[in-house]
Amino acid sequence: MNHILLGAQVLFTPINFFFCFLGVLMGTLVGVLPGLGPTAAIALLLPNTFHVSPVTAIIMLAGIYYGAMYGGSTTSILVNIPGEAASVITCLDGYQMAQKGRAGVALGIAAFGSFIAGTISVIGLMLVAPPLAKFALAFGPPEYFSLMLMGIVILIYLASGSILKALMMAVFGLLIGTIGMDSISATQRLTFGLLELSDGIGLIPAIMGLFGVAEVITNVEQEIKREVVATRIKNLLPNVQDWKESLGPMIRGGVLGFFIGILPGPAPVISAFSSYAIEKKLSKHPEKFGTGMIQGVAGPEAANNAATGGAFIPLFTLGIPANSVIAILLGAFMIHGIQPGPMLIQNHADLFWGTVLSMYLGNAMLLVLNLPLIGLWVKVLKVPYPILFPLILLFCLVGVFSLNYSKVEVALMIGFGVFGYLARKFQFEMAPLVLALVIGPMMESNLRLSLVISQGSPWIFIEKPISAVFIIVSLVLLISPLIPWIGKRRQKLQEKVEREQV
Amino acid sequence: MGRTQSQFDRMAAVFFLAVGLFFALYARGVEIGTWNEPGPGFLPFWAGLTFAVMSFALLLQNLRRKGPVRPSFFPKTDSWKRVLTTFVALIAYNFIFELLGFALTTFLFVGFLVKFIFPQSWLRTLTVALSAAVIARLLFINFLETQLPRGFLGF
Repeated sequence: MNHILLGAQVLFTPINFFFCFLGVLMGTLVGVLPGLGPTAAIALLLPNTFHVSPVTAIIMLAGIYYGAMYGGSTTSILVNIPGEAASVITCLDGYQMAQKGRAGVALGIAAFGSFIAGTISVIGLMLVAPPLAKFALAFGPPEYFSLMLMGIVILIYLASGSILKALMMAVFGLLIGTIGMDSISATQRLTFGLLELSDGIGLIPAIMGLFGVAEVITNVEQEIKREVVATRIKNLLPNVQDWKESLGPMIRGGVLGFFIGILPGPAPVISAFSSYAIEKKLSKHPEKFGTGMIQGVAGPEAANNAATGGAFIPLFTLGIPANSVIAILLGAFMIHGIQPGPMLIQNHADLFWGTVLSMYLGNAMLLVLNLPLIGLWVKVLKVPYPILFPLILLFCLVGVFSLNYSKVEVALMIGFGVFGYLARKFQFEMAPLVLALVIGPMMESNLRLSLVISQGSPWIFIEKPISAVFIIVSLVLLISPLIPWIGKRRQKLQEKVEREQV
Repeated sequence: MGRTQSQFDRMAAVFFLAVGLFFALYARGVEIGTWNEPGPGFLPFWAGLTFAVMSFALLLQNLRRKGPVRPSFFPKTDSWKRVLTTFVALIAYNFIFELLGFALTTFLFVGFLVKFIFPQSWLRTLTVALSAAVIARLLFINFLETQLPRGFLGF
């Protein structure tokens, strides 16, 4: 209870209140805009948070994350174009509802669903994070190394295409992560004499290139026409029948999303898809899904929002990012001089509880804010892409330059843009690369420290029980595709994905 | 020209094989260390080697497999022009914006892309470019106090 009071004290200062508002507003905006996701948006705004306190900065950046999940649904419902990957599934029934003149209800239920799920995940975060952090205090370098290894392996296992290609991207991320000065011996590695590279390849230029620039370049290949549902949007408030139908999916989606969120990987996307599948299975009329069933909007929207809350758990308790958005937040912690890890909740109680409570407030803000602002978001959607994309690129350029005032980093961003664009064409996934790039240096130092502790015996990773569990899980995940019946099913899935993308 | 997925994979595999070998060879010059005392070259060497082996596996896997036929690399015949132009504009921005200053370069950059990628009318181009330059100048330099170069003209 004391903790909640502390959090409230932190939150209810005018500046934090304002930045929370700013965060969710910006988040909704980037969620609405296709081609600019929360990852790029947080990376863009990070340099501008240097002059405020860490708590304020994190509150705003977190707001962008869950705000974007919210905004993404608006475009799915109104234009049938998901603003975020996490709202792809919302298109199925949301757009159908809009076509039947129920756009208002769909938007409303998405908003309420997100709010309810957001609440579930905040409560979950409050309950789960502190005990987990206490448990994690027992972790030494071997445990951390194995845990991070497991994180990467889970992410690879969840990759939709070829496991080998996902694995390759993770190793490539590790390799890029080794560029720069070695933290233990201070040797320069692969820096080619460039001072800018001795700190390593910056995370922000890499992410802005891979997600921001590459996305825009893919979109300039051909002009895409967007049709906004023309009818006036009315009746945002769902009626009693709507509530009856969607309360169950919301709660199930919220709980599911939270737990999937804890796992590494694109949790909002996976949880939204799983929630849709579950609702379809539970429904008495599964054949009606895809024709405008309200459950098909309420469940996934709740799930993707709850997943954002769950994703904060590995960050707050272990200092390990579960996905690329959280990875940038981790970068923000470090820039503000906060060491993430199991001690965070104790040492920076104000930061933890302030952020958690801000997520609650932010969810409420989104609800009040978005229902009346939907008209404005529709206008934003009508800005033609030929005018929008130069502005997105401009934001990328300024965002990266203002980090360190370095032209080399801008050049790096453009380089990653080229790579990201080609990698999309060649069907390589970027998420394992980014995660490996972020935790690569941490993994390396933990690996080397472990080997120093064990005097060179790699068995240390098996001898420590907690570490052994992580290693075994990783091995099982890596080997399972080789077992015939799992392997065959995965092979089929991969071929299906490849065909669908064609 | 419909290439198959495995043709794409083979090309990527050859490229990544070279990258992996490069890292592994480079790391040999740094000091790999031993298992007891891994040096700075330890991870780049082993990861580079693993990467090369994986690329080779991808190559082998795709020698026989065909995979679905992919649509042509560029969706439209003139797509490559827009893609290339956009990249060139980005690179040019990085080269000239210290000289010309943030506001002027932004005006040129936005104006160029609006006019030449998906051609808009001159009126629209100038309006968008001008307002982008002015608003970005006010937002980043005056409001957020970002230290962006002002160029030889001083704005």
